[in-house]
Amino acid sequence: MKSSAIMAIASAAVVLLLLVAGCTQPSGTSDTKTSKAPVDELVIGYQPSTHQMAFITAMEKGWWQQDLAPLGVKKVSDKVFPSGPSEMQAMQAGDLDVAYVGAAPFLTALSTGLDAKIVAGVNTQGSDLVVRSGLEYTGPESLKGKTIGTFAVGSIQDTILRDWLKKNNIDPDKDLTIAPMSPGDAVTAILAGKVDAVFLPTPSPSTIVNQGKGKVVVQSGEMYPNHTCCVLVVSGKLIREHPEIVKQIIATNDKAVSWNLQNPDEAAVIYATKTSAKLEDVKTSLAEWDGSWASDPNIIVDPVLEYAKIQYDLGYIKKSLTKDEIFDLSFYQKS
Amino acid sequence: MGDLVIQGLNQSFPRDDGSRLVVLEDLSLTVQDKEFVCILGSSGCGKTTLLRMIAGLDLAESGSVVLDGEEIKGPNPKVGMVFQEYSLFPWRTVIDNIAFGLEMRGMPKEERHRVAEEYLELVNLSQFRDSFPSELSGGMRQRVAVARALALDPVVLLMDEPFGALDAQTRNKLQIELLEIWEKTKKTVVFITHSVDEAVFLADRIIVMTPRPGRICQVFSIPLPRPRDRTDREFAELRREVLDLINQHCSIQ
Amino acid sequence: MGKHAKNGRDWRLGVLAIALALIVWQFIAAVIIRYPFILPAPTDVALAFVSLVAKGDIFIDLGTSLVHFAIGLGLALIVGIPLGIIMGWNRRIEALVDPVIELLRPIPPLAWIPFAIIWFGLTSFSAGFIIFIGAVFPIIINTYSGFRGVPRVFVEAGKMLGCTKDRDLVRYIAFPAALPSVAAGIRIATGVGWMCLVAAELFGVSNFGLGQKLWFYYSLHQMDSVVVYMILLGIIGLAFDMVFRSYVDKKFLKWRTGEVA
Repeated sequence: MKSSAIMAIASAAVVLLLLVAGCTQPSGTSDTKTSKAPVDELVIGYQPSTHQMAFITAMEKGWWQQDLAPLGVKKVSDKVFPSGPSEMQAMQAGDLDVAYVGAAPFLTALSTGLDAKIVAGVNTQGSDLVVRSGLEYTGPESLKGKTIGTFAVGSIQDTILRDWLKKNNIDPDKDLTIAPMSPGDAVTAILAGKVDAVFLPTPSPSTIVNQGKGKVVVQSGEMYPNHTCCVLVVSGKLIREHPEIVKQIIATNDKAVSWNLQNPDEAAVIYATKTSAKLEDVKTSLAEWDGSWASDPNIIVDPVLEYAKIQYDLGYIKKSLTKDEIFDLSFYQKS
Repeated sequence: MGDLVIQGLNQSFPRDDGSRLVVLEDLSLTVQDKEFVCILGSSGCGKTTLLRMIAGLDLAESGSVVLDGEEIKGPNPKVGMVFQEYSLFPWRTVIDNIAFGLEMRGMPKEERHRVAEEYLELVNLSQFRDSFPSELSGGMRQRVAVARALALDPVVLLMDEPFGALDAQTRNKLQIELLEIWEKTKKTVVFITHSVDEAVFLADRIIVMTPRPGRICQVFSIPLPRPRDRTDREFAELRREVLDLINQHCSIQ
Repeated sequence: MGKHAKNGRDWRLGVLAIALALIVWQFIAAVIIRYPFILPAPTDVALAFVSLVAKGDIFIDLGTSLVHFAIGLGLALIVGIPLGIIMGWNRRIEALVDPVIELLRPIPPLAWIPFAIIWFGLTSFSAGFIIFIGAVFPIIINTYSGFRGVPRVFVEAGKMLGCTKDRDLVRYIAFPAALPSVAAGIRIATGVGWMCLVAAELFGVSNFGLGQKLWFYYSLHQMDSVVVYMILLGIIGLAFDMVFRSYVDKKFLKWRTGEVA
């Protein structure tokens, strides 16, 4: 190829590059056509935590299918995720319509362009700081120089833990080590005695305690009273095109919550079967946890906005988020 | 000095069907000191097996190989070998190849390079001292192989069809060169070939072997003085005589 | 004129190819997709790179990852080469060990993470272990096939020249003959081991590392930074390979046919 031809192509390329430079912005609501196409398959994402037992009960009892079929939903399927960030990735990629997820990972995803909203709460509190057996704990000071395994950066657990440490004058980066890992790896690590503490949602803490490998020293409600944990997130598309489905989803969730509260033993069996957890660990966690299932989104608006601020201060999200960007409160009706 | 007495060698291998394939049957042979002997035979007659036993690389089922009164039971510094395939170590330069045996003996570097250079000179390849074998032609590689085998100053030099892979011209040249070296170094040489022409050109005696089982069929003396001329009438007659006898008595049964 | 590199290819064509690829990427990201989560554009990645360098962590990340890699590759060499030599030299040992190796080899390094945690905790050694799992098998296999493939005539020529003890045969004949195969094994192992870095740094062994940061920014959905670390991983992997090719091949293996100038 002649060198003059190479130069010509190169110059044209540079010009083209300059023209399109800096043109990437989140397209947000790119599909403006509000087709009322029926929903063939509704995909709900969840994590194997007793926080989200309502979802599991409703799924195993077929209530999602039952309640949504009259609204045109032909099939309801679920997808399990080890933690919030990966669940949000899937939602960003369009694989999920509904997600039971921690508020914090939802916020980070929202700030990078996720088209979804919180329509209801799922639970508050419910995570425990477990210290391995043999380690003395007399207060947050005891954690200095130690390693704590917890969910990845941007999760509820990571956010609350860092915030609580800071409030107790401990620098989470300099005074100790926070090791991000999947909950499975975290439990493995503490059972093998390779990590000093873990901060995990139920039922993992019970698994550790029941094997005699650790003790619960602080519950998350103590770190941050009434903090929001998991929330019910629905895609923007579903909100715009099928608000009636969104309403029913919340109603079905509430039905499952009531049933769980009235039938805790049976609920534990359903949960243990679905997630292959040990029934004993599930029962212990239900008895010991400091959390509660609560759907009203209105009461979690302030705590969630507080999270957004904490994350912004930590540098996890690049812009501050407003209430209207985060919530759609129109669907919830006090029953 | 280089008297080789081979007596009653027997070697056989088990076959798949349980019977045995006899490779050598009661083979006896004497090679005089400084003699140049060619072993001539078609494929499968056991000539390579015989050579490997003289080298000590293989052991016979029964019988003995005795060199100057000592029985050969394994590789021996008194016996050097030039193989049929290219056997120079490709990762070593020419000089380091030739010096290999001396290095194994523990000779310090300067001394062994000096000795090696003498043998390099002997095969007329001094200017390729620091080349790698991959840079040499086939004929040059075999010449270096000869120098390498001679560097340990063995009493007997074994050669297994060393010029088989070369073209006719190079082959003839190397045959002449080999005879010159033999005359200079006065080794006993046992040389395997399947070329009657080569055998008549090189040998004092030709040992013709036949296969199945491997044994000696005929022995010829070649009394022609050296250097020998292929176009000479006496040479041609001897060659025909050998060929005829081979076809009549020693061909494959 | 310097236009043609040693392997004969015009290096300017390579630069042009990359430039064109960048332009196509920019176009697709900026004009067609317009959603930086799905596909960050080269310009986004470049900006992220600048801010990451300004933050300074990148250099510590690089150092940390190199340490993990060195531990893993070093272990693979210490275990793999002697094992390969023994297997190549002794058929009975090969028959015993080979089935175990063939069983373990297909297990992906990622699957070893739980054991890495249980046996080595959250240390650099743990990360090195995951890399070791990836790197050791090419080394074992290439080493023993190199030894197995040593032409018998070299061994016999060595014996005729006075090299008769097994130990000497391995040292003076078999090992140099097998070296090209061993070197190939090490080169493959370097590539595979480097690829295991991301798995190795997945489970909290350190707060630094190219892989660790990749997961960190992934959790925060900052894909532009994720791509920065992906590209860094690719460039360094390429650098290792180039060093291998130019330095090791030239210095130790120049006796191979056709490679001497």
